[in-house]
Amino acid sequence: MSGEKGYNRFSVSQRIEHIALVLSFSTLGLTGLIQKYAAFGISDALIVFLGGIENVRIIHRVAAVMFLVESVYHLVVIGYKMFVLRLEASMLPGLKDVRDAIQALFYNIGLGKTRPKMGRYNFVEKAEYWAMLWGLMVMAVTGFMLWNPIATTRALPGQFVPAAKVAHGGEAVLAVLAIIIWHFYSVHLKKLNLSMLTGKLSREEMEEEHALELEAIEAGKIAERPAPAVLRKRMIWFSPVAAALSLLLVYGIYVFVTYEDTAITTIPPVEKPVEVFSTREPTPLPQLAPEATTEPGESVVGATPLSWNGEIGVLFEQRCGMCHGPAGGLNLTSLDGLLAGGESGPAVVSGDPEAGTIMISQTSGSHPGQFLPEELARVNEWVAAGLPEK
Amino acid sequence: MNRPNPRFFGWMMVSGLALIAIALSIWLLAAPVVPVLASELPAAPAPQDGAPNSQCLLCHGEPGQVTTFPNGDPLYVSIDPSLYGASVHGSETMSCVSCHVNISGYPHPVSGAQSRRDYQLTYLETCKACHTEQFDNLQDSIHGEMFKAGNENAPTCTDCHNPHTQPPMYNESGKVNQNVRAEIPETCAKCHNNIYEVYAGSVHGSGVIEGNNPDVPTCADCHGVHEIVDPTTASFRLSSVEMCAKCHTDASIMDKYGLSTAVLDTYVADFHGTTVTLFEKQHPDEETNKPVCYDCHGVHDILSVNDPEKGIAIKQNMLVTCQRCHPDATTNFPESWLSHYIPSPDRYPLVYWVGIFYKIFIPTVLGGMGLFVATDIFRRQVEKKKKSEPTSPDEKSPPGETGEKENAKSDEEVKP
Repeated sequence: MSGEKGYNRFSVSQRIEHIALVLSFSTLGLTGLIQKYAAFGISDALIVFLGGIENVRIIHRVAAVMFLVESVYHLVVIGYKMFVLRLEASMLPGLKDVRDAIQALFYNIGLGKTRPKMGRYNFVEKAEYWAMLWGLMVMAVTGFMLWNPIATTRALPGQFVPAAKVAHGGEAVLAVLAIIIWHFYSVHLKKLNLSMLTGKLSREEMEEEHALELEAIEAGKIAERPAPAVLRKRMIWFSPVAAALSLLLVYGIYVFVTYEDTAITTIPPVEKPVEVFSTREPTPLPQLAPEATTEPGESVVGATPLSWNGEIGVLFEQRCGMCHGPAGGLNLTSLDGLLAGGESGPAVVSGDPEAGTIMISQTSGSHPGQFLPEELARVNEWVAAGLPEK
Repeated sequence: MNRPNPRFFGWMMVSGLALIAIALSIWLLAAPVVPVLASELPAAPAPQDGAPNSQCLLCHGEPGQVTTFPNGDPLYVSIDPSLYGASVHGSETMSCVSCHVNISGYPHPVSGAQSRRDYQLTYLETCKACHTEQFDNLQDSIHGEMFKAGNENAPTCTDCHNPHTQPPMYNESGKVNQNVRAEIPETCAKCHNNIYEVYAGSVHGSGVIEGNNPDVPTCADCHGVHEIVDPTTASFRLSSVEMCAKCHTDASIMDKYGLSTAVLDTYVADFHGTTVTLFEKQHPDEETNKPVCYDCHGVHDILSVNDPEKGIAIKQNMLVTCQRCHPDATTNFPESWLSHYIPSPDRYPLVYWVGIFYKIFIPTVLGGMGLFVATDIFRRQVEKKKKSEPTSPDEKSPPGETGEKENAKSDEEVKP
């Protein structure tokens, strides 16, 4: 047990357990804190590195399950040590630990002569172990509430969920910083303690941290491993109890993970789908505006005799004169202008209603000014009659 | 003793940290830089030669002139000189022929257009000469894309802006003219009347339509003007949070209506908002099932949360809203969302007090640990100094780099 190679501190299974704990705890801490502080640049970078926030959440939950399974294993191991091996419950805190802590503090500030002599687990380790257990409880309960908010709010008021989130985040910060300040200092910085890798402590380390245990070892007061027959007897009742308990707890974890479907995976469209293209009724497109007349009220159509001076001149004045007045290239306000025509030829040809540019423009339908059908009929009649002036 | 060399672990740690630091700086450097584009109206005046406006108005100034296309569409060809004079183009004394470039006299060249739309499309590129930026934005917009895909209903410039009557958009201080702003929903309603009717009943739409309220958004404030994008995409949805926040975090607007400006921060601090913010930053084109503002508050039908019938401040309405994504939610569930409130002793007291507990608990525990660690460091420094003073003459190693280690060894040896 003792000698050149040092003093046994942690068994291989304890060291493996520690690695599992380191992995799940670090993963939980990392993936949790980057969610809590998602707005920070470093969190953003890490979330991208881990494949996005939804991935981070899955990793966090996988690590949480690992942590819980590890806890169940730990519980079974404790049971085995307590009830089968019947070892001393060396992790239980007591008044001596308070006295040791005070003595250590006094020694540090120069008020005490010696460091306290401590047993297998000293107050530093117990503080960390029990803080971890407290953290596990808080994190498991609040984690369940965050994982299953619908189930939670069936039994509890709604604000328990955001309160659980505050506690989960607060506890996370506490746990991670405690590990950095307390654990990293005690076993990495103060003196690099490699017993979790090698399983051994040196005599000097034992003297400083576990002097009482060292004394006990040297006095030969170490717990003997019970005889195989005794162990077998104890295992007869322990095995089924441990198996049942661990099965129950693992089932509990399964329930924890699969309890509810919190949300649907595809969000429905928020608005009832409507036809996007829908014109206004009545349509606001330009309508035929009421036409202006120069001599409202009295129609000139049908005046006699059928001549330029009698009726046709007025029609041309009204329908065409606005644009085709005396100033332009085509003057339709005088009979001479009509006969002279414009660039495309005479506006009317005596005796032939089909020949003049008037008819061409009026029948195409695209000319801005238009005769009414009965007006056009009268104009044609007038052209066919040989363009009488009077 | 057969122990791994601590220095080896030190180097592992240092090089590991360095690798992380390098990877991080590369990632940060690769972050995109968004250019800021100036968007000013080009004030290039159109050529002023050709026929004077007065010549055109000799005919076109006469009201009530309509011509008809072969398919029966009427085209109103009269120009009201007073409306044109008040329009942005008229007040810039632009000549008719700046746009109607193919017309130099009468008779006008015959257009082969079979319909009003055909005729309008012959002027498709006309606006581009002066309004290049707006024109290009339109080409890239959902309207432009649909137009290019052959959708006849997709708008061109003149479907929204009547070039003969369009009043100036901006006043002298550079703000959108209120009369123009009020017309925006009416303009969009020409083709999106279904949506207009929903919008008209909303807290935003009624503000514009009934009161011409400059504080509430018109269509263009959320969708943009020429650069309108498809609002059904994931990226539009993710970026909509910033869109709403633009006004809803502006105290100068919100204070008038007694609305909280903490809505964005409280949303981002919550599970939904955290996720959406990260998605927008990291995967702007991916769908997420976490809600944005309008998933709970509504889009065009958005109402005051205190609306006596449909407001989501009413618990039952809120539950119905939650159940859209959380079908199994029951009565207490909506309270698990803090409704944009910051917890206080009066509102969400449990959340408030748990927060206070950790504000005290964390520093107390860590402070205690820190204090103990500090005294331990102090003690060890004192001891180290004490031990290094009486140096044994047998010591072979010189003081310096290796001295510390040797001292530590000799410490242990001299212990009783």
